[in-house]
Formats: sequence, C-alpha cells, structure tokens
Amino acid sequence: MTQLWRKKKIEIVVEAARVRAIIEMIEKAGAKGYTVVANVSGKGNRGTRDEADLSDVFRNVLIIVVAAEDIAARIVEASQSALENYAGIVVISDVEVVRNEHF
Amino acid sequence: MVLFFALGAAAAGLKSDLTVPEAIGKGLALYLMLAIGFKGGAELATSGVSATVAVALALAVVLSLGLPVIAYGLLRTFTGVDIRNAAAIAAHYGSVSIVTFVAATGFLDDRAIAYEGYVVAMLAMMETPAIVTGLLLARRAEPRTATGFRGPLFSREVVREVLLCGGVVLLAGSFVIGWVTGGAGMVVMAPVIADPFAAILSVFLLDMGLLVGRRLREFGAVGWPVVAFGLYMPLVGAIVGLSAAYAVGLSEGGTTLVAVLAASASYIVVPAAMRVSLPQANPAIYVTLSLAVTFPFNLIVGIPLYHAAARGLATL
Repeated sequence: MTQLWRKKKIEIVVEAARVRAIIEMIEKAGAKGYTVVANVSGKGNRGTRDEADLSDVFRNVLIIVVAAEDIAARIVEASQSALENYAGIVVISDVEVVRNEHF
Repeated sequence: MVLFFALGAAAAGLKSDLTVPEAIGKGLALYLMLAIGFKGGAELATSGVSATVAVALALAVVLSLGLPVIAYGLLRTFTGVDIRNAAAIAAHYGSVSIVTFVAATGFLDDRAIAYEGYVVAMLAMMETPAIVTGLLLARRAEPRTATGFRGPLFSREVVREVLLCGGVVLLAGSFVIGWVTGGAGMVVMAPVIADPFAAILSVFLLDMGLLVGRRLREFGAVGWPVVAFGLYMPLVGAIVGLSAAYAVGLSEGGTTLVAVLAASASYIVVPAAMRVSLPQANPAIYVTLSLAVTFPFNLIVGIPLYHAAARGLATL
C-alpha cells in the first residue's frame, strides 16, 4: 500500500484586496506552496458575496495550503492579525498526502 | 444608450438571470478606455500643446485634491457617517467615473459638439490625487497622542494599486500612442474605435445597468441622508467644475466634460485603493453610493443638465 503522510490543510476564504498580503504571510511561515481559487462566492457575516463588480471589492478568493503541523500553526496564528478588518474565514483540517517531499 | 442602461437595471431588479460574462464586461471597459485615450491623444496632436493645456492639467489635480474636502465637510455636517467612512466616500467624489465621461463624450458626439482632446488627459490626472486627500482626512480618526502608531500614509501596496491600476495605464498609454501617431494613427484605428464606439458603449451600459440594479438592493445599509448626498454632491462638484472650466476658457464641449468629471465619483480605482488602505471603512456604503446613486444620476440627469449649463456659460 502507498505510504501516506499526515499534514494539515488550511483553507482561507479572503476578499480579493487582501490576497497578496495573505500569500506573503503564508510564504513567510515556511509553506512550500499554495493553491489559489480566484473567484468564489457564498454567504457569511458580510452578506452574500458574489458580486463580479468592476473594482473586485466584493470578490472572494479561496487559498488552500497543505503543510506540516508547525508551519500550519504559524499560518493560523498570523492569519488573525492579517485578517483584521477584512472579510475572511480560516478552516484547518487533518489530511494525508501522497508525495511528502512536496510539502 | 440610456435605454440599455435602464434595461440592465430593470433586469437585475426583477432578478432576471441575464448577466454579461465578467470577462466580456472587463473587455468592453478596456475597449472604451483605449478608444477614449487614443481619440484624446490624436485630437491633441492636431490641436497642438499650448499653455492652456498645462493650466488645465494643473487644474485637474487641484479639483481632484480639493473636491474631497468639500465632500467630507458635507458628509460630516449633514449625515451621521463616521470619520473613516466620510473620508473614504469623499475620496470617491474627488476621483472620476470613466464610464460617465465616456457617456458624456457620446452625448456630445451625437450633437456634433467639439471638445478639447486634452480633457481626456485631465480625466487621467483626476483619477488618483483624491485618494491622497481621502487618506489624509481619514487620519483625523486616529488619536493625536499615539504618534508612534501612525504608519506611513501609503503602503507599497497602495502605491502599486493606484499607479499600476490597469485602467490608468491603458488610458494614459493610449493617449500617448494617439498623440504620437496623430492623424495617421487615427485613420488606422477609426474603423474600430470611432465608428462602433456608441454601439459598444450601449452594450457596456447594459452591463453597468445590471451591476447598478444589483447594488440598489443595498440601500438599506447606506441610509437616506447618505443617498441624498449622492444626489446633491454631483451638483456641487459640477458647479465647481463649470466655474473652473469657464475660468480656463474651455469650449462648450470641454466645459461640459470638466463639469462631468468634477460631478462624477469613482467606483473602480478608489474602492480598490480604499479597501487596501482604509479597511475600517465599509465598502457597501461607498460602492453603493458612487455606483448605484451618483452614476445613474449623472448619466440620466447630470449630463444633459451640465451641458445646458455649459451652453449657458458659453453664450454669456
């Protein structure tokens, strides 16, 4: 059977204006990579967010990071100040990955 | 053209599933900015640069820096919004709406009224200085004693957002290309940027109507005193713009366009900059106000009104 490796997956839904800062924070925390889904919509404590308006002010982005536990902890920690005053959701879960050397 | 705008607003109001795909909407916006920039540049190449041009450009910067102060004063006096929201809204009113400007040039073209090409350069100049004023005004919300806490006025992020904003780059770039290539360039570009311009503007206005119609549902969050501000601020701006243009000695068409610039509020560049630099201000207020109140007002009532006023001034 294929060997699996335990990691943490962090999913961050954040408004487009803050994406650049969040990604810088993720790289600083030591994660080797991340995935960005450019346009997501839904409903939360700031109401429905699906507006494809010209300024991108109401557009949300999903960032997915898979990393070792210590790096994940640093990202979760740093996300609190990075998201102050901005729309954002941070979710963390246990996952298993196939190719350990990628993370 | 306004009818397509109404169709879009009505469709969104009735929750029709009509949408203009986002990529097409953005593409049309790029087309309009390229066309208007090029036409302005080509026009300047034929008329030549004079001292008036320099005065007009300086005036544009002064208008953009000054109008937010008026807007901020009105907001703080007549509405209940706090300092940061008032500053954010004020910045929108010093900046400009490119679509309103483009619709106004369409209005003038329809009536065969000429205007100075460098007014397009004024448009580009007015886009961003208002953000500086807005951020300076927002500093009033910060306690005087905590001087150590005050960060730099602009982060690197804001400067990049503002200066390299796609719209500004394309508009200024097309203007320069139009200016350099002049009449010869216009001959090449005219079949695309001049002849179908009004029709493409109509499609774009349909898209704008849809966006506005969706925003209209947010009025509750804004509050009526602020909605009223979105209606009288353009008139205040237009009066300032008309006086300024008259003082510089612009033509009837040019005066109309400067009034439109001073009356209009940004909903592309400034919201993006405010979101990055002033996150405490609520975007549901400032975007709804500039996009769903002031933009339709200027499009339907404002442009004909400002033109009538400019015509009145021209015959004085």
